[in-house]
Amino acid sequence: MIEKVKISPHQFKLIVILVYIGSSILVIPGILASEVKQDAWISALLGILFGLLLVWLYNSLGDKFGNMTLVEYSEKILGKWIGKLISLFFVMFLFINCSTLIYIFGNFITTEILTETPIQFTNIIFIAVIIMGTRYGLETFAKASEILYPLVLVLLIMLLIFLCKDIDLKNIQPVFEYEIKHIVKGSLLYVSYSSLTLVALMMIFPAYVNNKKEAKKSFLIGTLTGGIIIFFLTFFVISVLDPNIAALNEYSTFTLAKKINVGKFLERLEAIVTLLWFITIFYKTIIYFYGIVFGLAQILKLKDYKPLTLPSGILVVIFSLIIYPNSSYANKWNSTTWVSFALTSGFFIPLLLLLVGKIRKIKNKY
Amino acid sequence: MWSILGILSLAIGIILYEVPSLLTKNFKKEIWVFSILLIFGVILSIIESMNIEIPNPLEWLTIIYKPFTDFILDILQ
Repeated sequence: MIEKVKISPHQFKLIVILVYIGSSILVIPGILASEVKQDAWISALLGILFGLLLVWLYNSLGDKFGNMTLVEYSEKILGKWIGKLISLFFVMFLFINCSTLIYIFGNFITTEILTETPIQFTNIIFIAVIIMGTRYGLETFAKASEILYPLVLVLLIMLLIFLCKDIDLKNIQPVFEYEIKHIVKGSLLYVSYSSLTLVALMMIFPAYVNNKKEAKKSFLIGTLTGGIIIFFLTFFVISVLDPNIAALNEYSTFTLAKKINVGKFLERLEAIVTLLWFITIFYKTIIYFYGIVFGLAQILKLKDYKPLTLPSGILVVIFSLIIYPNSSYANKWNSTTWVSFALTSGFFIPLLLLLVGKIRKIKNKY
Repeated sequence: MWSILGILSLAIGIILYEVPSLLTKNFKKEIWVFSILLIFGVILSIIESMNIEIPNPLEWLTIIYKPFTDFILDILQ
């Protein structure tokens, strides 16, 4: 295959955080609020726990197969044909999710910012940037994360500091009004957006991280950090906005930013959230797109993934226009079939690979 | 009409950009995969630009996953 480009555990950790908060940063507080209203913060905490357990699963898998990506060891564990079948399913998962992310990007822009622009244009521009980033290679966009992540953190802290005075603790009461099973359902939706989608990183982890032991720690710390960020955002969304308003809004964090009003001169800082969110969704999408082209190249045993980027880009954009006829279809899909689909690729497939690998005593000497 | 021309010129542009280097490196398999994906992409783009409905894979997934989805949602509702 191509020369082994390696990224540092620190870069990997930043990528984990950015992918984790990816699309969640904008929509999860609202989704949790619509499920369990003022108890959304409880779901957010529980979700962190589930996320860490999932990453523990991915770490165990990565432990056994330090030098191969999920697509590669799938063949080794399950044999050539079943392995390739599972890998193809995995790539299909990455493909559909990637199209979803591009749709989300385009939908947000055309709903809130460039309302006159047709969604085709926003999506095409977005994929063009993604294709460029992918062709530059993993090392490049990993290095970029070291600059972009601090920016994300600063913008987030600004957002929260400016809103501190607007917190109304009455909004989180009564606490635990909702039954545990509803809170768990909220967490499950949250996990399907943030943690199950981390499985895409199995195309990089740990094969392309230069220190396996540190990589596992980075995966866990990154997930924890992402979870803490989402927790704070959820808490702020329900305590600053009314939980009922939060539940109605598709882009709750954006609505939150609109509320910033400091000394009557810092107003309407939605630009903070928009910039923040561009960066996080860019990283999530590029990791997915990289997974698609790299995974396909590995399944078909090609010598390079770069030639696949342009045609795959076209396909991903076309599907981003097909999959969701409208946003209520999107919401329905996200709270139903998507959960099953994400569980299959993000939980059942890695679990299957781990168990069969253990049973067949397949080892990868590295 | 114009969109079809646009898509085809984009495709030709992509071919001119990628294929020469693939030919000099003699990457036969890569050229095949590239071509199949590109043809598929161009056909779908043309169909989409003519506003003809393309079957939605999410529909198939919904049907396949329905029993499992119902099971999970039942437990949590």
